[in-house]
Amino acid sequence: MVRDIIGLVLIGLGMFMILTAIVGVFKFRYVLNRMHASALCDTLGLLLVIAGLIVILGINAQSLKMMLITVFMWLASPVMSHLIARAEVMTHAHIKDECEEINQCQSK
Amino acid sequence: MPIQVIFEFLLIISLIICAVFALTSKRLLAAVVIYMAYSLVMTVIWVLLQSPDLAITEAAVGAGVTGILFAVTLKKIHALKGTKDE
Amino acid sequence: MASKKHSRFIDWVNGDTAEKVHEYKFIQKTVPPHSEQAHDEVISTRKARLFNISYEISAVLVCVILVAVLLFTVFNLPLFGSAGNPASNEVAERYLEKGLEETGAVNAVAGMILDYRAFDTFGESSVLFIAVGCVMILLMRDKNNISATEDSLEENERLIEIETNDPILQKIVLLIVPCIFLFGIYVILNGHLSPGGGFSGGAIMGAGLILFAVSFGIDAMQSFFSIKTFKAITTTALMCYATLKAYSFFMGANGLETGIPLGTPGAILSSGLILVLDICVGLIVACTMYGFYSLFARGDI
Repeated sequence: MVRDIIGLVLIGLGMFMILTAIVGVFKFRYVLNRMHASALCDTLGLLLVIAGLIVILGINAQSLKMMLITVFMWLASPVMSHLIARAEVMTHAHIKDECEEINQCQSK
Repeated sequence: MPIQVIFEFLLIISLIICAVFALTSKRLLAAVVIYMAYSLVMTVIWVLLQSPDLAITEAAVGAGVTGILFAVTLKKIHALKGTKDE
Repeated sequence: MASKKHSRFIDWVNGDTAEKVHEYKFIQKTVPPHSEQAHDEVISTRKARLFNISYEISAVLVCVILVAVLLFTVFNLPLFGSAGNPASNEVAERYLEKGLEETGAVNAVAGMILDYRAFDTFGESSVLFIAVGCVMILLMRDKNNISATEDSLEENERLIEIETNDPILQKIVLLIVPCIFLFGIYVILNGHLSPGGGFSGGAIMGAGLILFAVSFGIDAMQSFFSIKTFKAITTTALMCYATLKAYSFFMGANGLETGIPLGTPGAILSSGLILVLDICVGLIVACTMYGFYSLFARGDI
């Protein structure tokens, strides 16, 4: 009973994170800001939802598979964000107007 | 109404929305991304219909390989020009 | 990140900025066998005009008769979903009841598509093979007959790939691609025990090949997967499938023992030919997926 409640709370927190990410994607206007919001959904939201499911199920073969899903998503998703950001920085002609941090990075 | 039926209705409604917007989208890259979302929803529906064979294939082909092929083709025919964020 | 260094990549994304060179390095001039003037002369004679008119009328007539015959057949088919039609009474029950002891496959779907209806699957594999052949005919780059523009474009893309490769992506791909291949091989080898099989596992392995090709470039890919390997794998797998299933169907149709042990249901080495056929289909599908991507992206495998 206690385990169910803890699991449901964790799943609810994960759902809230995913909702935040969706609102952020529709609220922001620029690519890098949108990516900053949507990265929450793939990492923290997924981790919380799967942690809740593992707490409900207990340790068995299924929860081990879920842990593997988390590991692979945490490997793949940040790399995808990095690639999108890299392509945007490289191809945008007036990137310095959008964010000032680029200047400091390039001067180093 | 049991909660699974509500879930199935939500999935089917989102499937129809994805299909309509993939057809009517003005930008071709957006249409490809919506088509990939359609494939993901279809995967969940296949699992609910108890045919996991089709679900695995749909996830690998529909959401993965077909999207790559569409994107490569759009690049080759220079149709990605209007997608810059300006 | 200096913007001058990656200016070639920016041009590549924006398209149409590549300078056009209108010199042809190698030109093969072949005169078409029927020149236009001769064609016009043939048309203008009276006999030919008569033949053309009668040809069109007979084509329309053949189409109308074919449509009429097909519509007549459709109206005489049994109603969809009625209990008495042949699709829903004995065949489906037989597959579900006797499938396990006749094919030895725990997964009923695998037993159906690779044992009872194996020629259907053979047709699907052939369709994939023919599709890759057609894409090759349309998109394959001829090394001896290429204009200087295309040659410079190809060189440009190769330089872009070298300039923009990403060390983070390469490290992660080296971690992930073996896991993708392991999962694909697991899905193929367990096709007769659990959901999956040749098509799903082949698609997963093809996606892994595409990921490797995207992140490491053409040269690393061609060191172990060139067009020779592609041709060898696809033709060998297709021929293997055809030979095995032809033997099995020929013996079965004549009421003879095939001599293939079915094994205990549930073991990994069981269910006769299904495991071998799964491997064949998986190899064909994986090669097809990678071949499509490679031909679409750069006109070569």
